[in-house]
Amino acid sequence: MTVLSRNNVVLSGVPDGPAMVFAHGFGCDQSMWRFVAPAFESTHRVVRFDHVGAGGSDLHAYDPQRYASLEGYADDVVEILDALALGPVVFVGHSVSAMIGVLAAARRPELFDRLVLVGPSPRYVDDGDYRGGFSAAEIDELLATMDDNYLGWSAFIAPVIMGNVDRPELGDELTNSFCRTDPAIARRFARATFLADNRADLAAVTTPALVLQCREDVIAPPEVGRYVHEHLAGSELVLLDAVGHCPNLSAPDQVVDAIAAYVSHVSVQP
Amino acid sequence: MSASSRSDAWDVAPVALLRLDGDGTVVDANQVLLDWVRRPAQGVRLADLLSVGGRIYWETHLSPLLHMQGRFDEVAVELRGPDGRLPVLMSAVVRTGVDGGRRVDVALSRATERSRYERELLAARAAADRSADQLRALQAITAALSQGVGTDGVARALADSAVTHLGATAASVWVAAEDGTLVRRGAAGHLPDGLDRRAAGPGAGDPVGAVEPHADGVVVVALGAASAPQGTLVLVAGGGQSEDPFDVGVLTAVGQQAGLALGRAALFDQKASVAHELQLALLTTHLPADDRFTVTTEYRPGVQALEVGGDWFDAFLLDDHVLAVTVGDVVGRGLHAATAMGQLRSAVRAVAAPGVGPAALLARLDRFVGQTGVGFMATLAYAEIDLTSGEVRYACAGHLPPLRFAAGGAHEFWWDGRSTPLGSGAGRTEATATLDPHDQLILYTDGLVERRDRPLLDGLEALASAGVALRETSVGALVTGLLGQARDERDDVCVLVASWTPGDPATRP
Repeated sequence: MTVLSRNNVVLSGVPDGPAMVFAHGFGCDQSMWRFVAPAFESTHRVVRFDHVGAGGSDLHAYDPQRYASLEGYADDVVEILDALALGPVVFVGHSVSAMIGVLAAARRPELFDRLVLVGPSPRYVDDGDYRGGFSAAEIDELLATMDDNYLGWSAFIAPVIMGNVDRPELGDELTNSFCRTDPAIARRFARATFLADNRADLAAVTTPALVLQCREDVIAPPEVGRYVHEHLAGSELVLLDAVGHCPNLSAPDQVVDAIAAYVSHVSVQP
Repeated sequence: MSASSRSDAWDVAPVALLRLDGDGTVVDANQVLLDWVRRPAQGVRLADLLSVGGRIYWETHLSPLLHMQGRFDEVAVELRGPDGRLPVLMSAVVRTGVDGGRRVDVALSRATERSRYERELLAARAAADRSADQLRALQAITAALSQGVGTDGVARALADSAVTHLGATAASVWVAAEDGTLVRRGAAGHLPDGLDRRAAGPGAGDPVGAVEPHADGVVVVALGAASAPQGTLVLVAGGGQSEDPFDVGVLTAVGQQAGLALGRAALFDQKASVAHELQLALLTTHLPADDRFTVTTEYRPGVQALEVGGDWFDAFLLDDHVLAVTVGDVVGRGLHAATAMGQLRSAVRAVAAPGVGPAALLARLDRFVGQTGVGFMATLAYAEIDLTSGEVRYACAGHLPPLRFAAGGAHEFWWDGRSTPLGSGAGRTEATATLDPHDQLILYTDGLVERRDRPLLDGLEALASAGVALRETSVGALVTGLLGQARDERDDVCVLVASWTPGDPATRP
């Protein structure tokens, strides 16, 4: 098994173009980028992949030890970039993948041209003056819910679609597969994500970064986006007129415009 | 249906109904929902009506699904109600509103029963997983037990398995000796002090069952029938994760399997021991001795599987001045090889006679093998030493060459007089060599020099260089020294050393 098949790496766009890598967050898979990534296929080498445990990744490669913390996922990103050898890339990470990108860029800065962090949060749990958006009790409740909500967070999560009468273009094979996941893996991924504290890692990043923040997001609130921006030297913050945690789906045009503008103006720098 | 009854239906429907704007904010909700959550819903994001798990789930799974496939059905989430969390099933579909904007219609139905059912399902699945794990462990242990050889082998396999497959931090295995006392035959892991006295455990006539748990996490399992156990397995529980990691059903089954394995092992031990006794009895016959020569011998049974092979030695006077010495090796192991060895050894004595000579003796043995079928493909070295002249007539039937050590320390292998193993029907040949006074002649079986990790010639060289010391040390010490590094793979070993020590012929009677 190669790294590329392990992570279901999908390449598109211009073979010789600068590389842009899209990493999905907690929940679904690389199809989260379906409204954003195509916009860069005329100018970039576009790379999408699934984290191990999600989407089309190789579930046999799931090692509870390796993926007990975000470091294991960052290792995967580094391995993918080493395997592709596309030169320094623009890494676009959504949600928890924003922090995975931060960890990878801190470790191997030469692999990264710049980072685009969509809805990043270095710590979800409140801590002293830091407001992460969740109390420790709430995260405990979340993890407990995942433990006993068997059907809720499992492969059955996928609703049974009745005939797709409204959207016949969606074949049955697509139904909910984007967000299907093994319940045991989802539980551990949730643990790795929501118990992580990567605030100290921000200072280690030298790669220029763009923070994309929705004006309202219960998972990564605006003050968290601002915190990331303030602790990432040389980063920029763009506030999107969007609500929720997935602007890549709910406001893809704004996301595309912000990334395109950032990539073009930073790239004129030497 | 009239417009008014349709709008009534909104509020009296047996499910909670909501309409959301594109951002997921509640635009309208029916009375059922308001009754469930007991607070205003309009203007609130749906995610905020859910438990924290549901909220994150909505943002990371459900909202993306609506964007990607326009709807989802029957997803279990929980509403935050005044009396705690209320399990519901949520279905939602994206529509285009009258103003052209994005709308989401949501229906929630109660799922209290269903979530209880799911919990039962989950418990059933966990139980099924647990039994599958237990079955796997039991199979692994049974397989390990079947590979243990002899009582010690089975006891070791059981102790190791208890640590590997049952998750014990330590285990010891006690087997009843003939007088009924328990003897420790196997152990694994770090055994705490003072554990040994528990070994008595559930004993004969003890009303306690086959598995006896102690308060400190030590469990004693009867091996074999609980009424008359063949021994006990003492387990120390693993630290931490679970209060009672040992399943009584699994332990009982392990105890029964171990009892069967110990029964088989006892039979095996008995058979091996019979073969061993028989071989020793056959080999400890009286060897000749007088002041013209000495014969010393060494026999070591194979280590592996406790099984004896068919190696033998013998020495006898053919007449007043000719000493016959021989070492041989019968194919096979165990009782069968031991009895074949005995017959062939007797046959050598029966067919040897003054004037016959080594080649003719081998031909006679070929006939014996052909008639009886005993000793087919056995190998042997045979030599007749003239105690007056030191002349030696010798022959090797498929056997390793005799080795002569001169009194001065030089050595030579006698590579002549070679023919094939017994029963192969080939012609027989012999050769002649000479001993000087105080020379030593060594006959031996392949177990002394053959090792899997080196060529045979290297083994012969090792024997030649070690054999120089033979004058200062015993043949037993020589064998021990040569076998030292290869203890685990050792085959049977037979060695015979004949020294020619002629005195002044005039002083002879």
